[in-house]
Amino acid sequence: MSKARSRTVVTAMALASALLLASCGSSGGSTGDGKTLKLWHYEGPDSAMGIAWNQAIAEFKKTHPGVKVEFEAKGFEQIQKTASMVLNSDDAPDVMEYNKGNSTAGLLAKQGLLTDLTPEVTKYGWDKLLSPSVTTTSRYNTQGVMGSGDWYGVPNFGEYTMVYYNKDLFAKNGVQVPTTPEEFTAALAAFKAKGITPLADAGAEYPAQQYLYQLALTKADRAWVNAYQLYQGKVDFHDAAWTYAANTFADWVAKGYLAKTSSGAKAEDAGVSFISGKYPIFFSGSWWYGRFKTENKFAWGSFLWPGSKLTLGSGGNLWVVPKKAKNKQLAYDFINITMKQGIQNTLGNNGGIPVAASPTAITDPASKTLIENFNKISAADGLAFYPDWPVPGFYDDLVSAVQKLLTGSAKPDQVLDELQKAYDAGAPKS
Amino acid sequence: MTARRHQPANTYPLYLIPGAVAFLAVIVYPFALNVYYSFTNWQGVGSPSWAGLANYRQLMKDSQFWQSFQHSLAMVVAMAVVPTVIGLVVAAALFDFVAKHFGSKLAAVLRACFYLPQVLPITVAGIVWSWILAPENGSLNELLKAVGLGGLRQDWLGDPHFALYSVMAVMVWVQLGFPVVIFMSGLQRVDPALHEAAELDGTSWWQRFWHVTLPQLRPEIYVVMLWCTIAALKVFGAVYVLTKGGPADATDVPSYFSFATFFEKTQVGYGSAIATVMTVLILALTVVGLSFQTRAEDAR
Repeated sequence: MSKARSRTVVTAMALASALLLASCGSSGGSTGDGKTLKLWHYEGPDSAMGIAWNQAIAEFKKTHPGVKVEFEAKGFEQIQKTASMVLNSDDAPDVMEYNKGNSTAGLLAKQGLLTDLTPEVTKYGWDKLLSPSVTTTSRYNTQGVMGSGDWYGVPNFGEYTMVYYNKDLFAKNGVQVPTTPEEFTAALAAFKAKGITPLADAGAEYPAQQYLYQLALTKADRAWVNAYQLYQGKVDFHDAAWTYAANTFADWVAKGYLAKTSSGAKAEDAGVSFISGKYPIFFSGSWWYGRFKTENKFAWGSFLWPGSKLTLGSGGNLWVVPKKAKNKQLAYDFINITMKQGIQNTLGNNGGIPVAASPTAITDPASKTLIENFNKISAADGLAFYPDWPVPGFYDDLVSAVQKLLTGSAKPDQVLDELQKAYDAGAPKS
Repeated sequence: MTARRHQPANTYPLYLIPGAVAFLAVIVYPFALNVYYSFTNWQGVGSPSWAGLANYRQLMKDSQFWQSFQHSLAMVVAMAVVPTVIGLVVAAALFDFVAKHFGSKLAAVLRACFYLPQVLPITVAGIVWSWILAPENGSLNELLKAVGLGGLRQDWLGDPHFALYSVMAVMVWVQLGFPVVIFMSGLQRVDPALHEAAELDGTSWWQRFWHVTLPQLRPEIYVVMLWCTIAALKVFGAVYVLTKGGPADATDVPSYFSFATFFEKTQVGYGSAIATVMTVLILALTVVGLSFQTRAEDAR
């Protein structure tokens, strides 16, 4: 090889290597200039949170002249699946909405990807606005387990599950609104006798597993929840609560209270089937409330699951500040604005559950009831979180489990065995 | 002393550099990292801890992985075997019958129609099929009801007894266009005299297809089978959109299993082991397939 040619090859390779290294490396690590707030969240623009946060952005711009807000609307799954990679890069946002729980915010906190917000929580007084049961999901210990330790997120709304029912269908079929577990089962049987499948359901997504968890909660107490969610005790999927839940769920499928055909349905399908008036009952979260208010063409109401002191629910998603955020002070200012009464009132009047609204400012009677119920549950320490939180990937395990119960492809005992195996594999070994 | 003839410098290797760099950056480097992570326990950030062969030992006795691998074999049937067989018949029919009797334009239009699913993004096709196959108000069930076959209605994607077959049927629909196009172009390469001679000998269409068309299309069949088998082994998009591996793992495939292990369970080490095993299997299959094809072509 001639010298000239070898020089060309070496130069080309050096250039190519430089390009390769540049493409593999980070995109610069400049610190923030205090002029841009990079904000990500995944709430729909028409949802209570979307509306309230748009207002918060407007207010932030007013109080921070010259600061640009770079808002990016993300999808829940998008953030859920890429958060650790994004937050580990230099492109992390300054403030981001993130799902709460051990396997989500807890995992990020444990990995050192989130800023400890404890000093700001005290400085701004956010802790005084939030009830203790709501703050459970804000604090994580060094193992990433919620309930104690430093603050890694701030929720500014709450959520819980309830039984939505179609008043018109109840009246038309002469079914009484149940107040006890027995009356609830009797109502299901009464609808079935009229040829109506009573419960709207979706096995491919969260609704079916929430029925299962709620059934377990009717036989559970706070210690049971703490053992399951916070690893404060032995978790036995063959205990009385889980056994009752799996057997009752399978029994309800056999009796036709839950449709076998719901095994492949998605949450949206279940919600829409309730909205269309096909099913008289749908057990799901307060996140449906605003939509039902707008779209239901019939009289409807809601009540808490009869005979249960515990229900699924928690503080809402968290505002988190990534460790690598460049403009943390702006992020704190923004979170503080979302906690102010004006924004909280907007949240409350649009079907959301604010944590710091003025009771007199909520004018809509339905919203008032929704918020009052949440406060009641929260004050009675009745929020039992969600079944998929304890271990990473448990959501998929639960989907698979309830699909087996719905299709009858496994017995309740086998399903509980599988859940035990998946839980034990993912729970911290201590 | 004789004058040395000036030989032009061979500059070809220079042109290979960009491709080689891209190959290193996009294929070799990530794959090497993936193999490295497969020997560790890692949650995706922080420091991985060395685990040796633990992930592979776990994989060997993981019934969910082997079940997902069985589903992959079903996908090979749906994405390679069935489309190749149907594709041969369709291509021969379009080339030999439709083009002759109704004109080549109609044959070209029909070929494009068969190819259309290949152009559609799999997410779009998947969503549309999930509507068609929905248990309530799905078009297929409504159609069955309308023609008096209401008793055959099923929860096509939600019942573990039907879900895998439903996904397979969708994949046949997706894949069919590829062999049709390849085989039709292959047929244009075949000497028409062969068909004409067979026709003069009084053979039936089927005899001509079996004794002339099929042997002539052997190279294309190898290419299509190999290509589609590889596509089947790494199928992901359709499963993700249609069933997410459910119901009750009935449609789980290794690529989705690996994805869920990576991103849902954040077990990056184990997910990497699954991906590595898949890659090795696909590479082995490719090498065997290619050598088989080369031997068959050399024997011609």
